[in-house]
Amino acid sequence: MSLKVDRAEVAFTFKGGMLPMTVMELATADPERVATQLAGKLNQSPAFFQHTPVVLSVEKLDAPHLALERLCAVCREHKLLPVAVRGGGDGIKQSAWALGLGWFPPQEIRAAAPASGEAHDTGAEAAAEARENSEAPALEGGRIFRGTVRSGQQLSAPHGDLVIVGAVNAGAEILAAGSVHVYGPLRGRALAGIHGSREVGIFCQELHAELLSIAGNYKRLEDIDVELLGANVEVRLSEDQLNIRTLV
Amino acid sequence: MAKIIVVTSGKGGVGKTTSAAAIATGLALRGNKTVVIDFDVGLRNLDLIMGCERRVVYDLVNVIQGEAGLNQALIRDKRTENLHILPASQTRDKDALTMEGVERVLDSLSEEYDYIVCDSPAGIERGAQLAMYYADEAIVVTNPEVSSVRDSDRILGLLASKTRRAEQNMDPVRERLLITRYDPNRVDTGDMLNLEDIQEILAIKLVGLIPESEAVLRASNQGVPVTHDQQSDAGQAYADTVSRLMGEEIPLRFHQAQKRGFLSRVFGGGRR
Ligand SMILES: Nc1ncnc2c1ncn2[C@@H]1O[C@H](COP(=O)(O)OP(=O)(O)OP(=O)(O)O)[C@@H](O)[C@H]1O
Ligand SMILES: [Mg+2]
Repeated sequence: MSLKVDRAEVAFTFKGGMLPMTVMELATADPERVATQLAGKLNQSPAFFQHTPVVLSVEKLDAPHLALERLCAVCREHKLLPVAVRGGGDGIKQSAWALGLGWFPPQEIRAAAPASGEAHDTGAEAAAEARENSEAPALEGGRIFRGTVRSGQQLSAPHGDLVIVGAVNAGAEILAAGSVHVYGPLRGRALAGIHGSREVGIFCQELHAELLSIAGNYKRLEDIDVELLGANVEVRLSEDQLNIRTLV
Repeated sequence: MAKIIVVTSGKGGVGKTTSAAAIATGLALRGNKTVVIDFDVGLRNLDLIMGCERRVVYDLVNVIQGEAGLNQALIRDKRTENLHILPASQTRDKDALTMEGVERVLDSLSEEYDYIVCDSPAGIERGAQLAMYYADEAIVVTNPEVSSVRDSDRILGLLASKTRRAEQNMDPVRERLLITRYDPNRVDTGDMLNLEDIQEILAIKLVGLIPESEAVLRASNQGVPVTHDQQSDAGQAYADTVSRLMGEEIPLRFHQAQKRGFLSRVFGGGRR
């Protein structure tokens, strides 16, 4: 996943990666209410508040103006480190930038945008979401997709598990906040625990995956033991290492 | 109301134009009023394969830009009744095609014809997306090699999301797989993917299998669609494909390596 460059000659290399990141979903724009709740949490689990980076999500708010600077200050007082803002209009984007924070578009829009480099260089707005089969029931947080997820398509369950009844072809990408289950061959990229959950897994009936990732820890096809290719497997994370074992 | 069929592939040079010409010819030979449209603006190949390049006066772009009427641009096929060709422009830029223009042309043709066959340009960009947008059926042309299969998979994703049928939540575009340039001998030696592997990955119904054949080259040099050469394997395979498109169940042919008979071994005659 890194650009190949000779280390001796360059000052840095860019690496793609999915880092676990806490999203703070704001239900109010009032900094004082946020402060009160944070103070309570800080007492409960002080271990969590160690300059932990957070993304402030304002998607659920419809306040055109936001005391963003004050909110950030409140976070820092409680040992949280805001690194970016997600959602909100142009005004919020501009103030995020002015405060030296990054800005992410709202989640629905991001989910439909091409995520992999490949979707980019083939020039496609083509990275269309796979079309939901009508018989697929909507789960609370999770998602079931019936059919083939094809090259260039991306399918995600940002709040739960993702179940594919069918194949995930090479060049396709499936992502879930929870676990990923593929009842069929997995030939594309599968990412579980995209918001940092480590207690999740990737399950598939036939492993040929281009990429497996749990909470940002990944293995590429070339890192996978050839003995495991084609097997029915379970992939889990233990100590930043992906473990693949066969199921029967 | 005509059935609109797009012949598409993603990857270039896999046999789209050959197939569009052969299938349109076959449909017309079976009595269907058929028009075949070249969407490959700037390259213009279909008229060569149909053998009507010297009769092109106006083209699809002229019609869309209002510089000519549809009937002025349509070329009547010399050999086959019921068959017309709407050529592409060789000089114009491919941006000259507009979505509304294409819709208008297809709407008027729909009233007259039974089948409209659209020969798509290669790629997955605007030109290919325009050619597929209004389709009712898609023939996805695939060669037995990994990159072609991958591109076909990509095209299938677009057919399920970037077409009128997908956007308006109508019944999905009917997707059919056409494998071309299949060489059973090279499949057996492992140089090429086999039929089952391709079908497993793409997971759509097979409408035909066209063998690698010298008859195709001969046909395109003569400007006579290979469907007219019913002595040849490719001509017969395209005729089978047309029958299946029209709903008949026909067993598959030409997918197994031929055991060469004594005479052909002695005289070295290949398959024709
Ligand atoms: N079954 C076949 N056997 C042998 N040669 C074939 C066969 N089908 C196609 N060809 C050859 O392959 C070449 C490409 O064919 P064709 O022009 O139909 O492809 P295409 O997909 O339309 O290409 P493009 O993407 O450039 O539009 C031509 O030279 C054609 O003669
Ligand atoms: Mg062509």
